[in-house]
Amino acid sequence: MTTAGAFVEVELVRPRVVAAGPAARPVWWRRLLRALPPYLYLTPALVLLVVWTYRPLAQTFQLSFHSWNLLPTSPITEVGFDNYTRLLDTPDLGAALWRTLVVILGMLPFTLVIPVLVGLLSRRVRGRAGAVYRAMVFAPMLVAPVAGAAVWQWLLDPTAGVVDKVVGSPINWLHEAGPAQIAIIVITGWHIVGFAVLVVSAGLTGINPDYAAAAGVDGASRAQVTRWITLPLLSPTMAFLVLMTVLLSAQWTFPLIDTLTQGGPSGSTTNIYYLLWDYGFHSYDAGLGAAAGVLFFVGFVVLASGLVLLSDRLSHHDD
Amino acid sequence: MSRIHLQGLTRRFGGVTAVDDIWLDVADGEFLVLLGPSGCGKSTLLRMIAGLLAPTDGRVLLDEADITHLPARERDLAIVFQSYALYPHLSVARNIGFPLRARRWSRDEIQAKVAEVAAVLDLSELVARKPKELSGGQRQRVALARALVRDPGAFLMDEPLSNLDAKLRSSTRAEISGLHRRLGATVVYVTHDQVEAMTMATRIVLLDKGRLEQVGTPEEVYDRPESTFVAGFLGSPPMNLLTAEVVPDGDALRVRAADLDLPLGITADTPPRPVALGVRPEHLRLTTPDAAGIRGVVRTVENLGSEEVAHCVVGDERLCLRGARPLGLHAGDPVHLTAAPENLHLFDPGSGRRLAWQPVPSFSHHPPPLPHPAPSPI
Ligand SMILES: Nc1ncnc2c1ncn2[C@@H]1O[C@H](COP(=O)(O)OP(=O)(O)OP(=O)(O)O)[C@@H](O)[C@H]1O
Ligand SMILES: [Mg+2]
Repeated sequence: MTTAGAFVEVELVRPRVVAAGPAARPVWWRRLLRALPPYLYLTPALVLLVVWTYRPLAQTFQLSFHSWNLLPTSPITEVGFDNYTRLLDTPDLGAALWRTLVVILGMLPFTLVIPVLVGLLSRRVRGRAGAVYRAMVFAPMLVAPVAGAAVWQWLLDPTAGVVDKVVGSPINWLHEAGPAQIAIIVITGWHIVGFAVLVVSAGLTGINPDYAAAAGVDGASRAQVTRWITLPLLSPTMAFLVLMTVLLSAQWTFPLIDTLTQGGPSGSTTNIYYLLWDYGFHSYDAGLGAAAGVLFFVGFVVLASGLVLLSDRLSHHDD
Repeated sequence: MSRIHLQGLTRRFGGVTAVDDIWLDVADGEFLVLLGPSGCGKSTLLRMIAGLLAPTDGRVLLDEADITHLPARERDLAIVFQSYALYPHLSVARNIGFPLRARRWSRDEIQAKVAEVAAVLDLSELVARKPKELSGGQRQRVALARALVRDPGAFLMDEPLSNLDAKLRSSTRAEISGLHRRLGATVVYVTHDQVEAMTMATRIVLLDKGRLEQVGTPEEVYDRPESTFVAGFLGSPPMNLLTAEVVPDGDALRVRAADLDLPLGITADTPPRPVALGVRPEHLRLTTPDAAGIRGVVRTVENLGSEEVAHCVVGDERLCLRGARPLGLHAGDPVHLTAAPENLHLFDPGSGRRLAWQPVPSFSHHPPPLPHPAPSPI
């Protein structure tokens, strides 16, 4: 006797659900409350940024279309683009731009070349000796620029200064056009080099030592490892240092120029920042200073965007 | 291809001895696996062979030449790092060609050789990519290709498969084994994965706390572990180790513990001696209550798919039993087990070294000094 039958598919077992609609969304104020904390945390920083950066920026922009001599009692008159045309007509601006370029180029050895060399060489100084060494290189950064300037003034003195005795020439460093610019660059560089070394050291520490080890086993000499592995991997750090140099060199020189040369002799150390300050606070031409400030701001934004794009291109996110 | 000799290699980091007096000969064409738990000094040992770390003591010889103080680049060894260490700023082709570039090959020669090696490892499509655009398995193959491109004296590999998922791991394992057979290369391979070690090695070196515990073929280390460490490291679950005592009973020796009484298959008389008894989970057999040498209670049963592992309590010790599914055991059941004498391993409870039976000529008046530590391995 046979029994009749058929194969049936085994069904996927799952709990029975009555009506599985989408999960209910929490009420709107609950969602708002949940989304709020990050913005609350950001608020203090945003408020400070607005009060101390964006508002003055807007005011500067506004001021650049006015004429005012900084006296609270004197009137502020609207002059349209007058300040800008005056600024672009004077030869001062071009000359200051050129000197700024010289300062930037002159700073690069201190912010890039020396730090990379020192960073690469001091990698092999380990432990406590390494820490002491880096602290010594960093020390000038801790000296207040104005105090440093005072000491340098003695050192550079044409009659009693140590520098002239060592160099063996009667150069009046701070009162001759060429030497004054050199002195400003070197003193600023002396100030900043320790910071740059620190940045390079941090960049080098961030490179996985396995790369250099692998390259060594692959047969590369020490110089080849540096050239083919370490420097390319350090390039984002170097791009950052170049960016800092381009954007901030002229600012770093400011306290030294103001204490040592006041932009002289005959304007030979006046770069764009000193020029801006000079317009505003020596010539009491606030509108002209503001116009210069706006122009430089726009110029630096363009420059910085270009450099940031470049450094993004250079970075190799290794994971 | 080359032989490597390690003579008393030692490395200390401050107070920590990471590698402790290792003597080892790696034969030409051998696939030697360094196996041990995390932190036992495998990487340290490999880095010393590669020349990336100076030994505190001892010597490294490559084909009889002392290379202890030779820098890494002059050693003619290739290393595959656990992290792969692919140069992130270079394309796959330039990564593979790097060792040749360092050897000042011409551009055309490099291109030809890279294409050849890339084809072998199925990387031809990927040569223009950067490492970050590759999957884990592809990176692993690029790292291998970079080692293969220059035909080194020996390959050193530090856990090259540990970043891969289970499936890719087993296929890459087969790939590396195949490469080793094709090239006849000498390979020193570090892993903490015993499956990798058992399947790939011609010989396994077991390390514990920087010391060498045993060297032998996969069969030797599995079937005749020379210490409780090796016994407890290999196998899954590893060998059961129980505190027991060897006692004479009539004219034969038996091993006894609470709820445990098994014959050792040795006809002799010797004073009682405490031992650590080892028996592999798969060598325990279920039997009738009368024939049982081991009586216990089942605590849990694990299902491994094709097999089951029963965790039992015997006396106050734990014991694992592994067998084809279904074992027919349930938690709480009494269990009756036995094991053949040839599957019992005895170890000294103090030193942990294996004990081997050594008959003494019968005219001796003294009872034989037994059991006796095994003669030193290899
Ligand atoms: N640079 C170091 N300084 C101090 N101790 C170290 C250093 N490198 C390794 N050790 C120590 O040496 C021991 C062995 O380390 P090693 O890296 O060789 O272990 P391993 O066997 O490769 O482990 P894993 O499987 O986790 O990679 C560890 O105890 C570790 O802490
Ligand atoms: Mg390791």
